[in-house]
Amino acid sequence: MRTSLSVKRLLLLGFSVILLAALSTTQFPPAFAEDAGNLYNTPFDVGMGERYFERQCSRCHGFDAKGNDETGAPDLTGRLSRASSNVGIYNILREGIAGTAMLPVPTDLPESQVWQLVAYIDSLSTDPTNVVLNGIAEAGRDLFSGKGDCDSCHMVNGRGGRHGPDLSRVGERRSPEELLSDITDPHLDVAPRWWTIKVTGADGVPREGLRMNEDSFSLRIMDDDSNLWSFPKNQIESYERSQDSTMPSYAQSLTDEEVDDLVAFLFFLRKEI
Amino acid sequence: MEPINMKKIALLFIVQAAVLGLSSASLAQEDPFQTVMTPAFSPITWERLVNAENEPENWLMYSGTLDSQRYSTLDEINTSNVSEMELQWAYQIPVIDRAETVPLVVDGIMFITEAPSNLVAVDAATGRQYWRYDHELPDDLRICCGRNNRGVAILGETLFMSTLDAHLVAIDARTGNVLWDREVADYQSGYSKTAAPLIVKDKVVTGIAGGEFGIRGFIDAYDAETGELAWRTYTIPGEGETGNDSWSGDSWKTGGAATWITGSYDAEANLIYWGTGNPGPDWNGDVRLGDNLYSDSAMALNGDTGELEWHFQFTPHDVHDYDAIQIPILADIPFEGRTRKVMMWANRNAFFYTIDRETGEFLIGKPYASQTWAQGLDVNGRPIRVPGMAPTYEGIMVSPPIVGATNWYSPAYSKDTGLFYVTSFDGEQEFFKRDEDYEEGERFTGGGGRYTQPMDAFHSSIRAIKPATAEIEWEFPIQPRSSAGITTTAGGLLFTGSADGYFFALDAASGEELWHMSLGRRVHAAPMTYAVNGKQYVTMASGNVVYTFALED
Repeated sequence: MRTSLSVKRLLLLGFSVILLAALSTTQFPPAFAEDAGNLYNTPFDVGMGERYFERQCSRCHGFDAKGNDETGAPDLTGRLSRASSNVGIYNILREGIAGTAMLPVPTDLPESQVWQLVAYIDSLSTDPTNVVLNGIAEAGRDLFSGKGDCDSCHMVNGRGGRHGPDLSRVGERRSPEELLSDITDPHLDVAPRWWTIKVTGADGVPREGLRMNEDSFSLRIMDDDSNLWSFPKNQIESYERSQDSTMPSYAQSLTDEEVDDLVAFLFFLRKEI
Repeated sequence: MEPINMKKIALLFIVQAAVLGLSSASLAQEDPFQTVMTPAFSPITWERLVNAENEPENWLMYSGTLDSQRYSTLDEINTSNVSEMELQWAYQIPVIDRAETVPLVVDGIMFITEAPSNLVAVDAATGRQYWRYDHELPDDLRICCGRNNRGVAILGETLFMSTLDAHLVAIDARTGNVLWDREVADYQSGYSKTAAPLIVKDKVVTGIAGGEFGIRGFIDAYDAETGELAWRTYTIPGEGETGNDSWSGDSWKTGGAATWITGSYDAEANLIYWGTGNPGPDWNGDVRLGDNLYSDSAMALNGDTGELEWHFQFTPHDVHDYDAIQIPILADIPFEGRTRKVMMWANRNAFFYTIDRETGEFLIGKPYASQTWAQGLDVNGRPIRVPGMAPTYEGIMVSPPIVGATNWYSPAYSKDTGLFYVTSFDGEQEFFKRDEDYEEGERFTGGGGRYTQPMDAFHSSIRAIKPATAEIEWEFPIQPRSSAGITTTAGGLLFTGSADGYFFALDAASGEELWHMSLGRRVHAAPMTYAVNGKQYVTMASGNVVYTFALED
């Protein structure tokens, strides 16, 4: 989808040049949404788009564009659920999203600036067709279910364990550098969903499990046997929370080449290429 | 006091019973939807607003009473039976957004504001609609933080509502018809309106939003009858006025200091108290050197003329967006051996203040939540800054974060416990500075912020503070950060909500949990309580739904 766009973009750019040559007496057509190509995607344009984003969009989407659960503004640094192409991003910017706090950009905002913003948002995700990796994805696949034993905790396309995040589309939201860090330094940035809770409920039995959800008055975990438990907090005898990951570091147990292979395998796990 | 209106309703019932030849027993069982009963809605005079506490069956203004204590003398629901509360009705707001509304209840009719700028009147006992008003909005609004409306004000038989296109609209409370529609400011320049106005005598006092768009803030008063502007007091002094020199160059013209939440009023002192927002641009103070008066301040204005009587600036030369957009709570409290007329204020900057409300004299202040930006307050209440905590181009970690230790959501006070209650957040955030030129109608913030930890890693709580010492009496942990307001009652209760979608009741004296109910979506509003036919109800909005609870009959 977005990945095949760069090919389309090149074709269209070429087409535009031919068109421009053919219609040299007419004015250069503005980049309407119907066009698939973004003519404003140089590093300068991306920088201008970033400036606009920081000023106009960061209040909801965050200064790092990683979204905000409170405002409901989504993370824009991975695959976008509402836009699969630059045109899709453009349309959302121009029209907003009805029924949400996502308002359109001002109607008098020049086309060039909207496209610069598109270019910046597009730059936040890694286009896999532009990435050259050292590792070999096929070898990584073997490691995943073999020596690495990753699938004892992680599912990919419905196969694997339940005690780590589903990695079926992990490549859409993590860059190769982030994946490398996830494998070698798993405690660095653990999402609250994967924290561990030790809790003793009203029955006096201590239980430990992954923190599936916690709120002001209750708590839900999954234990090692994949049992789901829900506790009212006002009946908890004891409670202990660890923000570490249950995943071990693979920095020592795998060679650098093997880690590279694993990164390559994971990076190409996505909905479609 | 037994309200006249209740008597009128009862009388109507008796007359109906007599006419229809029904026994009172069969009437009591009758489906309420079948009962033809016109609520005895009587005009809301200024005297009734001044004495709103004496008719607790009604909730006559955004903060309940002019002193904004959000304390109701209703006690049918109390610490011994609150756990038996059950849902009575739910009203679904048709526009999907979030409800920040605090409804009013007048003699059995409830007025609910909706996103973006709509208003509906429903039967307060059933939640069924009388009328609705949909305000037509342009499609190029400039709003910083969502399409919200927090409530209306009432005087006589007229409701007054702020709208996102920066209008003030007067609406007939019996029909929803528009009586007048006044442009307060030009929305295309970045002005908008979200807060409930405050009635002071025969005027509608109202603030303005737009502090992220380089506006110049003000507080307005309009003649309730005609909609004519009676006075305007700018929150940033103009050229030649005292305080204008607290802004370098022309920065005062685009300095923000918006007034986007409702204020309070002391009838005896004839003073209006109103909080002001951040100076603009929010995070780059280099272009507006000086204290930036009267941003981040409490302003005390003459109730007839709007003239500034005194001010207290909580955060001089703010560079962290620590708006003083909190509702001033007024009370008479024992302080160092005598009764003082005070204003209590838990600020976004993480300090709690008790201030003499007649003079503006600082009495006491201490942090009530985590903060790293100030070493403390000096004898006048001015913060002693920690050097080097201003936002940088690279980012610098500061507590509290941009959303603050608290924010606009209503705090409360209980006459029974003498405690002040606030929704608080112990968080931190990286603050960034950017260089921006002012362009009319464009955001003018000069930076922003970024969390480096998940929200669940931070601590949030409801805190009870002793106003005479500024010490924390108790706290009740919640998670994650809440933007719900608080209401207290003579039943010994504290009602509030949480971001994880709970509505709950605590013992106001001890903080002990007494009841909770999952309403399913984030609570952005404050609860309120009222009575119809002698039965107490408690209302709270969550997500897009307004829920009303009571004890079963």
